Amino acid sequence: MAEYTPDEVLDARGLSCPMPVLKTKKAMKNLKPGQILEIQGTDPGTRNDLPAFTQRSGDEFLGEEQKDGYISFYVKKG
Amino acid sequence: MAESVLVERFKQGYSAVFERNWPFWVGGVLLAFLGVLAFASGRPWGVAGGLRVWGDWFFYAVGLYDKAPGHSLFLSEPGMLTWALLFGAFGSALLSRQFSIQMAPNWELLKGLVGGILLGVGSVMAGGCNVGGFYSALAAGSVSGFAMMIGLLIGALIGLKYLMWEMENITAKPLKAKEAKEGGVDWKKIQPWLGALVFLVLIVWAYALSFQAYTEIGVLMLIGAGIGLVIQRVRFCFVRAFRDPFMTGEAVATRAVALSVMISFVGFMIIKWSGLRPEMTYVYHHWIGGLLGGVVFGVGMLLTGGCGSGSVWRAGEGQVKLIIAVIMFALSNSLFKYYVFTNKVAQAWGQPFFLPHATGYFWAIVLVCLVMVVWWAAMAWNEETDKFTMV
Repeated sequence: MAEYTPDEVLDARGLSCPMPVLKTKKAMKNLKPGQILEIQGTDPGTRNDLPAFTQRSGDEFLGEEQKDGYISFYVKKG
Repeated sequence: MAESVLVERFKQGYSAVFERNWPFWVGGVLLAFLGVLAFASGRPWGVAGGLRVWGDWFFYAVGLYDKAPGHSLFLSEPGMLTWALLFGAFGSALLSRQFSIQMAPNWELLKGLVGGILLGVGSVMAGGCNVGGFYSALAAGSVSGFAMMIGLLIGALIGLKYLMWEMENITAKPLKAKEAKEGGVDWKKIQPWLGALVFLVLIVWAYALSFQAYTEIGVLMLIGAGIGLVIQRVRFCFVRAFRDPFMTGEAVATRAVALSVMISFVGFMIIKWSGLRPEMTYVYHHWIGGLLGGVVFGVGMLLTGGCGSGSVWRAGEGQVKLIIAVIMFALSNSLFKYYVFTNKVAQAWGQPFFLPHATGYFWAIVLVCLVMVVWWAAMAWNEETDKFTMV
């Protein structure tokens, strides 16, 4: 799986629904189109929530990567 | 070692059922059927009642209450339903390798604590939680279910406004990263086996109960565990149904809950109309209590990230914030109910009202379906236009 170089990193580890999506929404506002946000999370629900959210917001969900003890999600601002 | 096609197929099948989440609407349909089955077997599904039983027994054990609680901790219907929900969700999380003791930052834990108290107090005011006060109450034909539904919407809006404010003004200290442990047990591999064991124990237990004339409790336990499994596999969330249209615009959960209520209502009405269960059972008088309690409960749900059922299944998954919320919910529900009961605060504000008494069974079904469809349609419209979306 390709390594993405994020422009910003959002640490959402330990946060449960709805905080990861809420914080992602806020973080995305500060990005310029084309920039990549990495969201680090531990809540199993985030794996469904983020792709669904990005589909609605017009951003691109690039993928997820299992890391040690958490998952990294990559989203590109549309 | 080359794995046979059969093993590969089995793994794919297992992964489809126990790893990827089931669709929301499937959860709605299954919950409706299980809820109707529970009602036919003994009593409608509920969560707060069982939590109150836990709270009652705790306060009795530490000496705060003089009399032993009326409901048995394990063998009463409400108590059993909530235990079964917890263990069904726990087993399901294990089978899906999703169990994990998940700590949260202190600020989140505090929200779990405060939210749990609001859930406990709100559910006493409303005569039940999102299940007993809204979902099952409405299914049973109690018009008070609509009162709580409105309260939940208002409470969810208030709670969401708070979360939006919090995001701008409070920066919580993040969790310290967990250090990777060397060696030790690979829990991920063992979890499914533990999950299977949990369900095996539940089935054997239900069977054993039938030998001691507790067959009905055993059946309720299996239904409750089934509800726990379905809820965890779907990650079904009543909070989403109320909150998401205003937060992300999505109406997926709203549709599922609306559909579930419609199916439940028809099922319950069949049971009541046929005389299998008396008409006024589980019909409440909680008008003002339903509305105000719904608001309080709604705010609590947004703070904790779970409702009655939601907090319990997430606790079963190992989320510490929700474990705290469940404990506070149980304790505060017990205490507040005790206060209300001994001080005779909540005399009936009005009588219980069974909808078919005013409209007949047929038009009651039409009316409830109409309300659910209007909710569905309004949120679906918002999904396209984002007119209500606040975030």
